[in-house]
Amino acid sequence: MTWFTVAKKDFRDAVQSRALWALVAVFVLLSVISTYAYVELPEMFGTPGGATFGGLIFFTIGLVGLFVPLASIVVCYKSLAGERELGSIKLLLSLPTTRGQVFVGKVVGRAAVLAFGLGVGLIVGLGFGAVLLGDLDVLAVLVFVLATLAFTAVYASIVVGISATTGSTSRATTLALGFFVVFELLWDVIPMGVLYVVEGFSLPTAIPDWIYPVMQVSPSAAYFSAVVALLPDLAETVGADPAQAGAGVEVTAAEAEPFYTSPEVGLVILTGWLLVSVVVGYSLFNKADF
Amino acid sequence: MPAIELEGVTKRFGDVVAVDGLDLTVTEGEIFGFLGPNGAGKSTTIDMLLDFIRPTEGTVTVLGHDAQTEGETVRSRTGVLPDAYHVYDRLTGRQHVEFAIEMKGVDDDPEALLERVRVADAADRKAGGYSKGMRQRLVLAMALVGDPDLLVLDEPSTGLDPNGAREMREIIRQENERGTTVFFSSHIMEQVEAVCDRVAIIDGGHLVAVDTIDGLRDATEIGETLYVYVSTLDERVLERVRGLEGVGAAAIDDGRLRVAVDGVSKFAVLHAIDEVAAVQDFSVVESSLEDLFVRYTNEGKEVEA
Repeated sequence: MTWFTVAKKDFRDAVQSRALWALVAVFVLLSVISTYAYVELPEMFGTPGGATFGGLIFFTIGLVGLFVPLASIVVCYKSLAGERELGSIKLLLSLPTTRGQVFVGKVVGRAAVLAFGLGVGLIVGLGFGAVLLGDLDVLAVLVFVLATLAFTAVYASIVVGISATTGSTSRATTLALGFFVVFELLWDVIPMGVLYVVEGFSLPTAIPDWIYPVMQVSPSAAYFSAVVALLPDLAETVGADPAQAGAGVEVTAAEAEPFYTSPEVGLVILTGWLLVSVVVGYSLFNKADF
Repeated sequence: MPAIELEGVTKRFGDVVAVDGLDLTVTEGEIFGFLGPNGAGKSTTIDMLLDFIRPTEGTVTVLGHDAQTEGETVRSRTGVLPDAYHVYDRLTGRQHVEFAIEMKGVDDDPEALLERVRVADAADRKAGGYSKGMRQRLVLAMALVGDPDLLVLDEPSTGLDPNGAREMREIIRQENERGTTVFFSSHIMEQVEAVCDRVAIIDGGHLVAVDTIDGLRDATEIGETLYVYVSTLDERVLERVRGLEGVGAAAIDDGRLRVAVDGVSKFAVLHAIDEVAAVQDFSVVESSLEDLFVRYTNEGKEVEA
């Protein structure tokens, strides 16, 4: 089980990075500011009925959905490419371990680093919110934090996987940012663009079902849906719409829709990203010469 | 069972052939020197022993296990000082050694290991602030973790001062006496000459010689060089000495006659020179491994050309 030793060493190494502490500070600050803004001005954030703790959780998802991808890139892009570029990978692979164990150790180590920073930020932010609102839903917080940590682990795996494909940190940076731009920034537009082209350069009146799961391919959209799926009652009370398609696809649990249009698809997609990043990252890493 | 066995090992990087059809056997318990100029294929070969890179053709067997499919088993019994490595800047020396101990699943004392390589004073400083020589010592300490059966050292004296290089040789000898096979590469001949039982010379990805140092000397017929002070030394004397039997080459060097002895005894040559011009004094210099090395690697190039 050398992966655990690798993960521990990696964590030890990374927690001494100033960049990480800057990141934690930024997240704690953002978390507190956004909580305060939500509690004071709930109308501005789509909760005209007044701030609720459930509403705060769903409001926080937006922040996490942006913060986790960026933080993962900062924390993970050098994880394997950097070791290869510098040559410390030789020190690591001189020891009785395998490339698979090193890969897993890196994912776990970096995920732990991210989870630590994120955990601190969430606890401070939600704790602050609970004090301001005088309300706390422990179970919901627990489910939300666990889902968020799982999302973080998936993102760590994606960026470590990207880092595993190359021995150059500049290429790793390009690939990771490219991933972010395509799957996080542009993904809302791409499926609609495809639909537009497929339909002969016009948008149909009814958005087909397949658009919904395609939208969820973006990991942060899948994360949002996953939280909706895990906290269905809370999602209903705050009116969280997991489709995020923005084109008026109304999905409720009552309708007899195919599985892929239910928010559970988010969980499936996050699992898919985990598998794809591990398989692609590991197989390229395993083939490489150092 | 041989400690290391390479059979028909070839490694190509695109069009470049780094190692070409290498066959090499290192016996258990010996100190084996791997010599070659920069870019000869030394590090590529070592990297294949450790599965950092995979051979294009051929098989690499280390301690009876396939280096590619059973790398973890190989490395659990091997201590490695790699080439072009980098330490973890933010971890201390002690943390490095502790990491190696935990990875090997042994319970060595990090303090004792750091003491042995003389970096114990800096044990709690971050390795990023270490000098090149200290890093080299630190990684040697990591290599010694778990009393390995095989030590693979790629250019171990890099960054060490003469004292450090001597200490490195002492550790190599001590480990060898304990029964450890030592395989190390170098482009510094005297390092190899000082400790090795056998050497292999590699050039342009080909093995050009494998032998004991004495064996190499005999095989190359470089033999010895005589420096002779004679009563009169001029071109005419030099010409006559060149014509003598057993004289490979002769030249005037710093007021002395420099004569390469070839095939016959030194005494016979001295005696013959004495008849040409009276011998006043002489000294004998045994050819160094460096001469052998230059000769081998240059010959290789001539053949290729």
